[in-house]
Amino acid sequence: MGKERVLIANRGEIALRIIQACKDLGLDYVVLYTKEDEFSLHVRNAQQEENGFKKAYRVANYKDPNEVFSVADEAECTAIHPGYGFFSENYGFARRAAMRNRPLTFIGPKWEVIRDLGSKINTKRLAKDLNVPVIPGSDGSIYNELEAEEVAEELFFLQKEQGIQHPSILVKASAGGGGMGIEEVSHLDAFRRTYRRIQNYAKRQFGDEGVLIEQCLRDYQHLEVQLLCSSYGEVVHFGTRNCTIQSAGRQKRVEVAPGFDPAVCEYPFDARAVLDRIVKYSVRLAKHAGYDNIGTWEWIVSRDGSPYLMEVNTRIQVENEISACISRLNGSNEPPNLIRDQIRVALGDRLGFTQKDISFEGTSIEMRIVAEDTKRGFAPWCGTITRFDYPDEPWARLYSHVPRDTPYKIPTEYDPNFALAIIWGQDTEQAKERARQFQNGTIIEGKGASGESIITNLEYLYDRIDDVLQF
Amino acid sequence: MRTDKVHMADSGKLLSQLADRISYLIDIKGNSEWSNVGDLLGRVQGLRQSLFEIKEADLFEEIDRIEDRVSFLEDRVAEKLGPAEIVNIVRSPQRFTLMDILENVYDSYTELGGEGDCNIDPAIVVARATISRRVKNKLYSHQVMVIGHEKGRGEEYRNGGCARPWGNDKALRYMRVAETEGIPIHFYIFTPGSYPIEDYPGAAQQIARNLYVMAKLKVPMVSFISEGGSGGAEAIGVSGLRLMGSRSYYSVISPEGAAAIEGKIREGEKVPRELVKHCAAQLKITAEDNLKLGTVDRIIEEPPLGARRDDFPFFHRLRYEMLRATDEVVLKTKNFRAFRAYALKRREEEGKEVPEDFDLFIGWSLTDLEIERLLEFRLKKYMELGKGYFLENRNILTEGIRKTKIFASKTYYDLRYGLLRPHHRNVQKVIEEVSSEGSVFLRKVTEPVRAAYDFVFPQPERPGKIVRSEGPERKSIFAEEWESYVSPLANEDCTVTCPNASKYGCLDLWVPDLYGEFCGVCPNCGHHFPLEYQWYLENLFDKNSVHEFNDHIASCNPLGFQGYNVRLKKDIKRTGRNSSMITFDAEVWGLRLVVAMLFSNFRGGTVGTAEGEKFVRACDVAGTTRRPLLAYIHSTGGIRIHEGTLGVVQMPKCTLAVREYNDNGGLYIVVYDNNSYAGPVASFLGCSLYQFGMRSSRIGFAGPRVIRETTGQDVPPDYHSAKNALRRGHIQGIWDRREFKKNLHDALMTLGGPNLYYK
Amino acid sequence: MDINLNDLLRRYRSHPFEDYPVETPHTGVVFLKVKEGQTVKGPGGEWLHRPGTLLYVIERERNAKRITALWSGQVSGIRLDIEGQFVEAGELLFSIRHQLDKEEIIDRILTQVLYILPAPQRARYFLAPEISAKMEKQPKEGVSVESGDEVLIMSLMKRDTVISYEGVPGALYKVYFKSGDTVEQGSPLLGICPPDKLQYVQKVIRRIRTEWEK
Repeated sequence: MGKERVLIANRGEIALRIIQACKDLGLDYVVLYTKEDEFSLHVRNAQQEENGFKKAYRVANYKDPNEVFSVADEAECTAIHPGYGFFSENYGFARRAAMRNRPLTFIGPKWEVIRDLGSKINTKRLAKDLNVPVIPGSDGSIYNELEAEEVAEELFFLQKEQGIQHPSILVKASAGGGGMGIEEVSHLDAFRRTYRRIQNYAKRQFGDEGVLIEQCLRDYQHLEVQLLCSSYGEVVHFGTRNCTIQSAGRQKRVEVAPGFDPAVCEYPFDARAVLDRIVKYSVRLAKHAGYDNIGTWEWIVSRDGSPYLMEVNTRIQVENEISACISRLNGSNEPPNLIRDQIRVALGDRLGFTQKDISFEGTSIEMRIVAEDTKRGFAPWCGTITRFDYPDEPWARLYSHVPRDTPYKIPTEYDPNFALAIIWGQDTEQAKERARQFQNGTIIEGKGASGESIITNLEYLYDRIDDVLQF
Repeated sequence: MRTDKVHMADSGKLLSQLADRISYLIDIKGNSEWSNVGDLLGRVQGLRQSLFEIKEADLFEEIDRIEDRVSFLEDRVAEKLGPAEIVNIVRSPQRFTLMDILENVYDSYTELGGEGDCNIDPAIVVARATISRRVKNKLYSHQVMVIGHEKGRGEEYRNGGCARPWGNDKALRYMRVAETEGIPIHFYIFTPGSYPIEDYPGAAQQIARNLYVMAKLKVPMVSFISEGGSGGAEAIGVSGLRLMGSRSYYSVISPEGAAAIEGKIREGEKVPRELVKHCAAQLKITAEDNLKLGTVDRIIEEPPLGARRDDFPFFHRLRYEMLRATDEVVLKTKNFRAFRAYALKRREEEGKEVPEDFDLFIGWSLTDLEIERLLEFRLKKYMELGKGYFLENRNILTEGIRKTKIFASKTYYDLRYGLLRPHHRNVQKVIEEVSSEGSVFLRKVTEPVRAAYDFVFPQPERPGKIVRSEGPERKSIFAEEWESYVSPLANEDCTVTCPNASKYGCLDLWVPDLYGEFCGVCPNCGHHFPLEYQWYLENLFDKNSVHEFNDHIASCNPLGFQGYNVRLKKDIKRTGRNSSMITFDAEVWGLRLVVAMLFSNFRGGTVGTAEGEKFVRACDVAGTTRRPLLAYIHSTGGIRIHEGTLGVVQMPKCTLAVREYNDNGGLYIVVYDNNSYAGPVASFLGCSLYQFGMRSSRIGFAGPRVIRETTGQDVPPDYHSAKNALRRGHIQGIWDRREFKKNLHDALMTLGGPNLYYK
Repeated sequence: MDINLNDLLRRYRSHPFEDYPVETPHTGVVFLKVKEGQTVKGPGGEWLHRPGTLLYVIERERNAKRITALWSGQVSGIRLDIEGQFVEAGELLFSIRHQLDKEEIIDRILTQVLYILPAPQRARYFLAPEISAKMEKQPKEGVSVESGDEVLIMSLMKRDTVISYEGVPGALYKVYFKSGDTVEQGSPLLGICPPDKLQYVQKVIRRIRTEWEK
């Protein structure tokens, strides 16, 4: 078999990290880019490293699967890394990669797994079968008003029984997502009207009038479990993360590993036991589903310490590296690289280690540096970045597609995220301190279309460091 | 005698008459080169100009010579009058029109719904008229409604007798007036075809409505055909007796149209005259042909070269024949013996001169009982149309089993629905009333009652299975081991472009996705790509519930259309089917229904005698088993031209069958997919009270090319879209293929009610 | 605001062309179907439903897509080196030198007469659904807009922002972009004609019509 060549069907910092992982593994790689991303670092690096074959292809759109496959064939690639977003959780894409005349390895779980766990309803049913707790509510799309009211009534009753002061429920369009088509109902009397409104909205928007109803949880923390599995049935976890700090649009801004730290906060429950439980549940579900690549199990933990499974992300995540940063393999000082491991297992490798070989050390914080106005609803800012500088520290890493040596115009087509900073500390206090120190040393300058200076969320991130791991 | 006339008449008038006769010959032959008739006409015109420069004797001598020549030529034309020439006769501006008939056949008339060009549609003329007969020197007159096309004498506003939708609507309105007044209707068909526009409610929809009403119109109807142009002719054509002039034509399509299709002539190119002639002969359009095929009942003799405007002996004959035909339709309902006697008497007169006197007066009004019989005879007559022109491939043994089965099931269903039904309904009602109180307590009370009731009136399924067990002629279309059906279109690793890509930015679609998971629907804009009919059989109906029947009825080549046998055989081989219609029982989430499906792969989903017969029998099955009837139209290109008027008469035939089914309480739903045009849409499909279109389907009367060619106007690209059909009120809704089953189930439930049946 | 119509007309008369680049919409193998200097036709028919001249075929994932001309004009600068080759998206194949007709000249000159709503950012723009529905119903009459009406949706960094019209009320005379297009900052989006200016606009149009013929 010849050398594997990976097509990187993504942009920004994840493309850069995948390039690095490929190089580390000694694999060839090819990147895609659009006209808007012409000056992005992932393109420049690929073009600079061309040796014997073309490494960067301009395409119409990152979201057009035909472009990806067209380039994959032209560039003689053997595998595709979807990164996150775009095609990463698109089982149709993964299926096409596997079933076309010239098959390509999809670096991610097999398409059946993406399909089965990609459906929230299906995941919820599966979880219930395995006694994994999920948010109380309907476990399937409801089309019938009477049935819907019955579910709503029961949810209010259950909340009252638990002594919840202001019980409420969420009515969601089954086919919706990303905060669209969700409304909260705090009185049973108001339920019918909301239900009908959402039903109509769903029918109009998605052509499917199915509606989901679940308990509205208010005071909770957003936790994640990082798993890595292979096609040989091996399952290991890299601990937990806490992603509670989010922007207005439910976009994560600061993430931290581990999920809880009893050293910095007194939780109203046994934090270690809760983390153990969600890890145990996640592993149980992964084994049952035949999970075979990297993946994240998202959890909600309420103030009384009850965990509820929210969904499974069948892909590498932005914040994967903070889990890696606190993990040690066989006592080695060098943290593992999950992207590398993801590629390896997708190409057919065994894990090469077991859970027993993994130990944890310290706390890691990730900050997402975004050009946005945190005071005005996190509105994206666009313009040109003229200076971008940050401290070089052994305990910090920064990933960005923004070049440090030339001005960079932020493309208006995509998210305005432009850098990820990852900090590690011996303990949470040190990590927080280092995060602040890093922030202080970071300089971003730029100008907008009418000459105004750049707006970033640096200050906001600095302020939120205090909230890390607090409940 | 001729010389006397010559000397007495004005030479100018004679010349003008000669000129007319020569032009008529030119019309008939379609060109002026034939036997130098053009030169002959030139000679006459020359004479007319130099009338006073020539000596009278010379002039008359010349006139004589020319007249001899003309008469000789007329005889020669008459001797070898081919179908193409008959078409030309009918189209000649010298041919008689409806206005001539109103003037000469009827005693008096009043035009309704317009006058001349001040009219809803001048192509359709409606008149209240009186027609009289002499009985023993006494004059009796009858009131009739006359409805027909007026081709006009070159007036453009008459539109050549092409009725617009509102013209046919006017006809329909006055048919109803005639029904209210209880007077017979005389239809006169002088149309090359309906005007193919889709203005409200659309040409096809209006014709279908007319057919649906005429099916059960409670008055005697007689029609006379001079120019029977397909669908346009049927719009006012249903009748107890169909007469046809001996120099008339009745055809599924104009010979030119057929030639363009047969010769695959591109738009704008000239159709070769020989090909037109050939097609005219193949289509079997003459009166003799139609009489032989049974598509008309009687021929009215015209002069050898056809009747013209001043042909008074012909009008005299026509009056007699219309009276006689109406008498027969009326008498048939009264007393069979009297009718026989009358018919025998008239038969004696066949071929003789038209008698001056009738020996008795027959009143044309009918009693209720007679009306019932009138409708029965009409239905029976139309059901017989086309019989014997399709094949029934079946051995005698299975035939016997089939007949026994039909009898058994009919008896069962008659018993179940006929005798027990009223009681059944009452019990049902009581139980519903009790149960609707809704309390658990009451349920306990009604439960044992319901069980007993179920015992007395078991669900139709259980005994139904015993009676109609899986017989040899009812077989599942697909082998049972097929777990799930995937379109064979999906077996290719390639992509296609959505036709709306430039409008909605749809990405290219990977074919296995498109024809697999996406059900052939663009996930971005919802455009429906066509899918083969098998997909519907597998996905629309419950697993293994599809049981085909009447698959032994096969299409053939009843007209002996040249070159058609080969093509028909090819389609039979390619599709593995022997007609474009599939009829079967099926279930949709447990609801049992009868389905008639027209599919595109077989002769473009066109309808001929076999398809018509299968449809009629499907109506029968649905009627006897008291099940809803679904017509799913995968695609239809219209009436099959190779079957000529045998195909055309399937329009009224199937419409009458559906009307009968509906009137007996049946629920008939039509769903159009892909492309549905012409005859079927203008009859048994368009008449449905509940029609739906699939997304991206096209529904209409004539395609854009035909519209351009007949009206000279282009139509917008979305002219026939389902959305526009909805806007015109043709269909009741647009369905998405991905929700077809749900939509169908919902429609059956809401339109059909608890019994899926009206009554 | 008065314009020097004579100057404008003179300028257009000396160069009545617009060069439209023909670029590949996506990757694929290209087969050219036109020659240098060839005259091509744009879409035709009353509803522009008849496609223009076939320019080239681009094949990607075994789908040979036929690309037809959107403008009439002459092919120039054709790149023969790419014939039968795999090309990237947005590759320039050739240009079409399009001769502006009277109506197009009018459109261009009107941008200086009408009240123009320019693009505030480089972004994708969509007509507000209400406006586009109205325009579909009554395209000829022009839809009237007032200050505060939501006329456009700007899609920027995956977020949709509704743009309200701020300016003189009037009839929506011209839409300068195709819904979903990316428009450069400052380029005209909408041309609005205030009622009091209608006469003037019509006068300008009349004048261009008569002058252009000369």
